[in-house]
Amino acid sequence: MNRWLDRSITLLILALIGWAGWSLLHWLLVGADWSVVTTNLPLYAVGSFPADQRWRPLLWMAVLITLTLLTLVGPKRGWVRRWLPLAWIAMAPLGLWLLAGGLGLLPVGTRSWGGLTLTLLLTGGSGALALPLGILLALGRRSDLPVLRWSSAGYIELMRAVPLIAVLFFGQLLIPLFLPPGLEINRVLRAVVAFALFAAAYIAEDVRGGLQAIPPTQREAAAVLGLSPVQTLQLVVLPQALRIALPSLTNQAVGLLQNTSLMAILGLVELLGISRSLLANPAFIGRYLEVYLWLAAVYWLACTAMALLARHLEFQLDPVRSSR
Amino acid sequence: MTVAILASDLVKSYTPGLRALDGVSLQVTSGEVLVVMGPSGSGKSTLIRTFNGLETLDSGELDVLGVRLDAAHEERQVRAIRRRVGMVFQQFNLFPHLSILENITLAPIKVQKRSKPDAAARAIALLDQMGIGEQAHKFPAQLSGGQQQRVAIARALALDPEVMLFDEPTSALDPERVKEVLDAMRQLAKRGMTMVVVTHELGFAREVADRVMFMDQGQVVETSDPQTFFTSAREERSRRFLSQMM
Repeated sequence: MNRWLDRSITLLILALIGWAGWSLLHWLLVGADWSVVTTNLPLYAVGSFPADQRWRPLLWMAVLITLTLLTLVGPKRGWVRRWLPLAWIAMAPLGLWLLAGGLGLLPVGTRSWGGLTLTLLLTGGSGALALPLGILLALGRRSDLPVLRWSSAGYIELMRAVPLIAVLFFGQLLIPLFLPPGLEINRVLRAVVAFALFAAAYIAEDVRGGLQAIPPTQREAAAVLGLSPVQTLQLVVLPQALRIALPSLTNQAVGLLQNTSLMAILGLVELLGISRSLLANPAFIGRYLEVYLWLAAVYWLACTAMALLARHLEFQLDPVRSSR
Repeated sequence: MTVAILASDLVKSYTPGLRALDGVSLQVTSGEVLVVMGPSGSGKSTLIRTFNGLETLDSGELDVLGVRLDAAHEERQVRAIRRRVGMVFQQFNLFPHLSILENITLAPIKVQKRSKPDAAARAIALLDQMGIGEQAHKFPAQLSGGQQQRVAIARALALDPEVMLFDEPTSALDPERVKEVLDAMRQLAKRGMTMVVVTHELGFAREVADRVMFMDQGQVVETSDPQTFFTSAREERSRRFLSQMM
């Protein structure tokens, strides 16, 4: 009796899954009109960047993808491997130069930046700023100087208590009010700075967790060898702490990438922003499902790449595993 | 005979009213091996940790290799002492993110500003001397406790210290690993290194020590040559401790 009930429930569920899968497949292949995606691929990639200059953001993304592949499946040893970290560090300045122009390239205003390029640049730029700031805040929070300790803790608690969207509005709308007329800070730069200030508070807590996991005997061993406090931090404590914090830092990085979509509300045409403006175009009216499904796929791809890179880094930094 | 360490009336308490060190005075001449024994909580670890400034003093005065150290705990003096005094801990305290070779060459390169090849050659020589030359490119986690402790000794020796402090160097080791570490220390003593060793290893004390100092409740109970200490200790407290150990 019970067996029959089990079987019929299983069958029912299988039928439901099959039906749902079939209708999804049917919609994907027949029902959906993918022209909203296929005809606008350049827009998703680079936004309204001048058509004759599109090669610049595209080149940057191509380099980024090459670098990702090289890191993940490239040669295990040799000069390529040795230069990879430097190449990664150079990506943010390279992206800025390729997009903004100057130094032999035609200058392009930030209003024309957009699409996936802008999303990646916002993520990379704010991450690159937030990490050192976060480390400093974490060290400040554990400092022996009460002033430093209290101000770091105060900053972290304040930033964590405020929603990201409020920080972003503050950056976009309020800061210009405080600046003298005539002095205008670039919109993208304001966004990057606001993002970095916000993310630094969370990164600081992750790094603090790493710092607390290092036993005090490590500092003692370093002190006994005559290393100065700065050397101890730089050579003994931080390398270990950051490795421990790496999984949570990856989490922050993925969160940062997804949070850049909030910039659409503030009028930046990054990946979500460009999609919204496409949906406002009468030619593509009502194509929400297609656009958002496509968006989800792109975000998923970018986040997966980041997660893979982070896992790779974790593996590289594990002395015992990587030495085998 | 020159004096390596001279301590007079050292006092230190972690909690008010409870003295970890209660007026300890002693003298270590260079080339001497002093073994410090005593029940746990007797203040022996605290004592040798004051010798290189890991613990501050409440009062009293230290003279380590001619550098004065007192309750003021002047940072410059502490660093001057640490440059010339090596230390080995109970828990090895190797740097887990660095290879064995990097563990040993870190301080010679960063503190003494030696060249990399120079420091590496010296490190390999020390590892060979410790009988673990083939482990240079492994990481601490891949070594046994006894091997890790010998790396720790090599790391301290790489700075050419004039005095070596050992804080229960074999207490965290499996019994079958104790001998290899004690052998390395024995070798070191034979070459005339000034050593202060906190240990429970009676055999080592009997064989290697020039003098044995027995501590209890933050005070020096007696200091004797090993022969006297192990056969006819003067104090009742020492005899009771020894009878429990054997």
